[in-house]
Amino acid sequence: MNYDFDYADVLQQLPYLLGGALVSLQIAFVAFFAGALLGLGGALGRVHGPRPLQRAIGAYVTFFTNTPALVQVFFLYYALPDAGVLLSPLTCVLIGFVLNSAAYLTEILRAGVVSVRRAELEAAATLNMSRLQIVRHVILPHVTRMIYAPLSNFFIILVLGSSMAALFGVEELTGRAINVSTTNLRTIETFSVVAVIYILITFVASLSLALLGRWAFRVHARIF
Amino acid sequence: MPQLDIRDLHAHYGREPVLQGVSLSAERGEVVGLIGPSGSGKSTLLRALVGLTQPSAGEVLVDDRRIDYRDRASQRWLRERLAIVFQQYNLFQNMTVLRNVTIAPLEIQKRSKAEVEALATTLLDKVGMGHKRDAYPDELSGGQQQRVAIARALALRPEILLLDEVTSALDPERVNEVLDTIRALTREGITMLIVSHEMAFVREVSTRVVMMDHGRVVETGPPAQIFDTPREDRTRQFVSRILRH
Ligand SMILES: Nc1ncnc2c1ncn2[C@@H]1O[C@H](COP(=O)(O)OP(=O)(O)OP(=O)(O)O)[C@@H](O)[C@H]1O
Ligand SMILES: [Mg+2]
Repeated sequence: MNYDFDYADVLQQLPYLLGGALVSLQIAFVAFFAGALLGLGGALGRVHGPRPLQRAIGAYVTFFTNTPALVQVFFLYYALPDAGVLLSPLTCVLIGFVLNSAAYLTEILRAGVVSVRRAELEAAATLNMSRLQIVRHVILPHVTRMIYAPLSNFFIILVLGSSMAALFGVEELTGRAINVSTTNLRTIETFSVVAVIYILITFVASLSLALLGRWAFRVHARIF
Repeated sequence: MPQLDIRDLHAHYGREPVLQGVSLSAERGEVVGLIGPSGSGKSTLLRALVGLTQPSAGEVLVDDRRIDYRDRASQRWLRERLAIVFQQYNLFQNMTVLRNVTIAPLEIQKRSKAEVEALATTLLDKVGMGHKRDAYPDELSGGQQQRVAIARALALRPEILLLDEVTSALDPERVNEVLDTIRALTREGITMLIVSHEMAFVREVSTRVVMMDHGRVVETGPPAQIFDTPREDRTRQFVSRILRH
């Protein structure tokens, strides 16, 4: 292969690409935290809610975990304007990601919610804790600790999955990489730099999540 | 007027009747010992009293007030006066020993931090767990966890305390410590319902003993009657079999 590598043009665009990385992270954060909030409600409803609610949540989870996220976002992207709802591509992508991650997080969190010992729930009830207090003081800390590892893995998946937004014209890291490579025609160089940026992001994210887990939730997982 | 009055209480697990008309009462400051064979419904009675198992019939009165177990406010009122230490360990695993003891007084009863922490320290020392206040339950032995559970119940400053086999997991030395703790509590005027298989313990601390079998009260009387001159054959049988061990 006698291809002349030339990174000069790409590196010149580094600040632009890093800005995109920030957008990627923002997408992942929104999908993760909004999804986790919905997912927590979903998991609690799935385990402790009345039967019809359990079924409804089950159906929701089955639907969203058995169809590609890309298809879901496509659907929203074209269906919402048809229904008279006009949103920016970013908002549309965010809604799709949140709905999707809520389904996965319901499943992940459910594993934690069912593992709360009944004895602790009963103790909490006899101590006069309200439902909200039980969730806050007993269920949530337990769940976070039990399923911390799959939870942080899922965050990484969301960071990488956010590249899908490029297909809808959102200028996150991959979107900007496409912009850059179509002007400088240095596709290999551009995308290798972008790959390194993704690796850095996920590395830093894993490390901070592991440290946070140790510090805040007594999770004794190996960091590397 | 008894402080705790249980009238013809029934409870089921599914279709299986577990309590079949239990009546018993406790005056203020009284220590009622509850004995009976395994499966006779002692734990279920305590669980029904705190509302963890819904009674299917009968009534419970505390300070002459009828408890409506379907009503949250009524339950809350009840649980402000009544604390329970369970047979199985049920400390909150995600909290330190100290936090286990202080969480309800601080977050639910909204008492002052200084008062609660001072009381928690005293109580933990009382049950011999002062040196473990920063440990987590999974770092403690079963007996140690149970002692913390007692301290947690006492921190609520209950008027009525239900103890379900709290000494079964303790080593002999600690049984005496807990016994001392409970004896001291009787002097403070806490009404107690104590389930135990340790007959010497029951005999010593109880003002009255209730013998249960098959979800019913077989016999009630002062300890001397139940252990020395029982009126019912079933009591005699049970007591003699247990005392022989
Ligand atoms: N969660 C449950 N589901 C179904 N049946 C139960 C449950 N808990 C207890 N039982 C049944 O209820 C009956 C009374 O049990 P309970 O625990 O009240 O007895 P106990 O007197 O406390 O016995 P022990 O001295 O062994 O603690 C038993 O026959 C038991 O099998
Ligand atoms: Mg029992």
